[in-house]
Amino acid sequence: MSPKLVESGRHPNIKIIANAEVESIQGEAGNFKVTVLKRPRYVNEEVCNACGSCVEYCPEIMKDYYNENLVEQKSLHIPYPQAVPASYVIDPISCLFVQKNECRQCEQACKELKAIDLNQAEEHLEIEVGSVILSPGLDEFNARRKKDYGYGEYPNVITSIEFERILSASGPFEGQITRPSDSVHPKKIAFLQCVGSRDQSTNPYCSSVCCTYAIKEAIVAKEHEPDLDISIFYMDIRTHGKNFERFYERAKNEFGIKFIRSRLADVERSQSTEDLILNYVTDDGKHHKDEFNLLVVSVGLEPSKTAGSLAKTMGVKLNEEGFCQTHEFSPTSTTKEGVFVAGAFQSPKDIPESVVQASGSVSLAAGFLSDVRGTLVEEKELVPEIDVEGQEPRIGVFVCHCGINVAGVADVTKLKESAEKLDNVVYADESVYACSKDSQEKIKQLIEEHKLNRIVLAACTPRTHEPLFQDTIREAGLNKCLFEMANIRDQCTWVHAHEKDAATQKADDLLRMGVAKARKLVPLKEEIIQVDPKALVIGGGFAGMTAALSLANQGFECYLVEKEKELGGNLRHIKFTLNQNDSQKLLDETIERVEKNSLIKVHTQTQVKDVSGYIGNFVTAFSSEEEETKITHGVIIVATGGHEYEPTEYLHGKHGDVITQQKLGEKLASGELESSKFKDVVMIQCVGSRTEERPYCSRICCSVAIKNALKIKAQHAKSNIYILCRDIRTYGFIEKYYRSAREEGIIFIRYDLENKPNVSEENGELQVSVFESIVGEQLVIKPSLLALSSAIIPNYNKDIAQLLKIPVNEDGFFQEAHVKLRPVDFSTDGIYVCGLAHSPKNIEESLSQANAAAARAAIPLSRGHVAAEPIVSSVDTDKCFGCGICEYLCPYSSIKVVETESGEKAQTITASCKGCGICASKCPRQAISMGRFTDEHILLQINAYMEGLKNA
Amino acid sequence: MSDSKKIGAVMVVGGGITGMQASLDLAELGYLVYLVENSPAIGGTMSQLDKTFPTLDCAM
Amino acid sequence: MSFEPKILGILCNWCAYAGGDLAGVSRIQYPPNMRSVRVMCTGRVDPVFLIEAFAKGCDGIWVGG
Repeated sequence: MSPKLVESGRHPNIKIIANAEVESIQGEAGNFKVTVLKRPRYVNEEVCNACGSCVEYCPEIMKDYYNENLVEQKSLHIPYPQAVPASYVIDPISCLFVQKNECRQCEQACKELKAIDLNQAEEHLEIEVGSVILSPGLDEFNARRKKDYGYGEYPNVITSIEFERILSASGPFEGQITRPSDSVHPKKIAFLQCVGSRDQSTNPYCSSVCCTYAIKEAIVAKEHEPDLDISIFYMDIRTHGKNFERFYERAKNEFGIKFIRSRLADVERSQSTEDLILNYVTDDGKHHKDEFNLLVVSVGLEPSKTAGSLAKTMGVKLNEEGFCQTHEFSPTSTTKEGVFVAGAFQSPKDIPESVVQASGSVSLAAGFLSDVRGTLVEEKELVPEIDVEGQEPRIGVFVCHCGINVAGVADVTKLKESAEKLDNVVYADESVYACSKDSQEKIKQLIEEHKLNRIVLAACTPRTHEPLFQDTIREAGLNKCLFEMANIRDQCTWVHAHEKDAATQKADDLLRMGVAKARKLVPLKEEIIQVDPKALVIGGGFAGMTAALSLANQGFECYLVEKEKELGGNLRHIKFTLNQNDSQKLLDETIERVEKNSLIKVHTQTQVKDVSGYIGNFVTAFSSEEEETKITHGVIIVATGGHEYEPTEYLHGKHGDVITQQKLGEKLASGELESSKFKDVVMIQCVGSRTEERPYCSRICCSVAIKNALKIKAQHAKSNIYILCRDIRTYGFIEKYYRSAREEGIIFIRYDLENKPNVSEENGELQVSVFESIVGEQLVIKPSLLALSSAIIPNYNKDIAQLLKIPVNEDGFFQEAHVKLRPVDFSTDGIYVCGLAHSPKNIEESLSQANAAAARAAIPLSRGHVAAEPIVSSVDTDKCFGCGICEYLCPYSSIKVVETESGEKAQTITASCKGCGICASKCPRQAISMGRFTDEHILLQINAYMEGLKNA
Repeated sequence: MSDSKKIGAVMVVGGGITGMQASLDLAELGYLVYLVENSPAIGGTMSQLDKTFPTLDCAM
Repeated sequence: MSFEPKILGILCNWCAYAGGDLAGVSRIQYPPNMRSVRVMCTGRVDPVFLIEAFAKGCDGIWVGG
């Protein structure tokens, strides 16, 4: 996530207002006036460069909230190492100056930079915006509220978030797993699930993420210490997320983590050992007692503590659980027009779903404001670039002290002097803080004064500071690529703080290596590729239609291609939802909106035949019975959908009373089944899911079974319904329907893979037998109807995958670029995914994801161009002989062999090249070169290091 | 209301992973974003996580 | 004098190099024997780089990605 942090901090269109809260909102959608209270930070975040020199002068101590108060930190602190804004902050409650007007040591420590500003006061900022997105996030459940478990009273009961920090290598104990009472490494750890979740006395809903994070923490702990004995006490394991089930299986089979389905009676504390004794009851009714060195309580998620007052200020309604009130068919809209919601404030959810919803809410806000897009952002005017072609390198070297961060360890003057002696270095200087505004002005002057045409900066890391300095030299007219950094702080003085000579030597080498590379730096152009502002959406199901509508709302033309005769896909078969919303009405309305929208061109009974091109410039051929069409477009959204698996097990297809849940739903809606069929209904869960053949969880089948069961109960109150299940996965607010189902007398019987239910037929009568663990014997039911909760499987993904050269996972669903951070993008730029093609999900989730895909796809469309950073590959066509190894290996489909006048040659697709250089390193003719990272550059750096050794 | 009065800026309240993603998308789409965060730094809960499920990628 | 190996690191910008920075931010101390070259991906690494480094006297190479 740090790329997103850094990008948020650096993006010219994002103004971060930290340490602040919304005070009031006035006006209406499109034109709000929001007042924001910015609390004093006592450090000027514009000036502070997070060097940290001030910290040791601060005499006051406070709890380190980032580390869950497990350790202490100074009152003057940075919230966490990678924090953005990268600025220190003074805690007013513990600061001596704020409280007693004493001390002011920090001001002295920062007298050069003058970043400390103890006179800061509260600010009230008036800001005009067209729309607001609420994403205040979550807080963990306060485990003290569950007194039975002893948190806060017994030292060795900790929360899962505390354990998370303990496990972290950058955490309070550097990743050493120790327990609070005696700092000893525990040998036996228990996790207790559903603390503050699925519990009438605290939170009735399921927090959705605790099972997965507990499994994760258990595995990470086992990786730290393989001999750990870990047990997880649970009611249901809910690993319904994409690829999560496999991980659960690994936890059991590979890591030997024990999963114990049980009810916990209480936790006792052993006074002598500080161990914890758990009394619990397993499924078979047996009582157990077991002792553990450490107990981790898996605390649930609640809306952020600020959410309640925020909702009040904003005038949006909350639901009965205190989360933002939304509708199933508009999950990112609040009750106030123009105010949207995303993330854990809408319902408890994990990271990918939060990221999806974020983009989903953006698509609504952007649709609403599309007329005024681009009106408040401006592009900087730049001076023309100086032509350095053919000039001898004139290198300027700047060595940054970074206060005492570098200068306190390495001999900066010596570094400067040795740089001066290097060939082509015409100027070298020291700077206390090279990143400060006046230093940058000075660099610009010196470039002009000394006609410098290459700049080498020995300072911190290029990962955070290179763009800043590149902008600086660009302002002086130098191409951005004529810049090189030597990382003498993060990877030198900070990590060799006690070896001054060795650190100086290393810094000297790094600087010499930088200069060696700089001699051969050449100016490179940022290539601009025009984008054809139209989209292709493949799949006319609910997700595809939603994505198309969202793009059209933002003003973009789009082609919607559906292979069937009618739009609607899988939603055609869903007649009602668990919340009793009318999904058919939703379908009809969506189709109508699509058909009426002049920007959407619908092609039904049409298949995609061929796709070529790249982001901004795709060419696609598709054909229907009547005609072949060729279109050009800038982006593609893949929404090819999924469908219910047609079971071969449990006499499905052989006995007429065995039907799938989807069929049952349709029949319940049409009322075609006679009431005798509902006398004794059995439902079997996980048919075709969580099996060896199909190891994933289909996520929605538990809710679908409960939906149908409740519908039957509503229509036929006397019906006996048995749901044979493994874990019931009614995550989030769906949990309440599980509760109603039990209250309605629906019977849930657990089975496991070793004891699957057996379905047989005798004289036309169905018979189901299943092992009932509470009574400990085989239970036989003669159902009048058997409904199978059948898996969701992807549609024809493999064909599309081949056409678009995009990956599918082992279950046949499309594989996104990054599970957490880019859940609707493919690694190939310009292609996005949503709906069942990505993974099983319900209507609400498909809707968010479709909107998210549309928001992401709208980015290149609205910019009208994509700019390629000049680190991309380039092909020397004289050397290339078209072997195609590069095309085969490129993970981004960004190089391909094309026919040219001089034969087959590789060609870079600059628009989507990421600069990884796999092609360059594997090219048998060394015909491929990487911008700023050429073979020559790297070899010069290596040689510069090695030459230094000879001289040493 | 007339469209001409609309303002091409969006406020995002809360700077966790959700708020950051929303801000970045909006900014890339050409809207000016005010990202308001209650604490002194953005990052939210995710910044506290060690690794993420199921790939065990570093959360940072 | 004890043997001090001369180690070259070729580090991926997105992971190992970032890890190197994080070690710095966290002030984790380690021996000062390595000098690193940043690349955009370790897929960039051509075996020639490694041979060249060894030939010139490098004692060990860490390709981190």
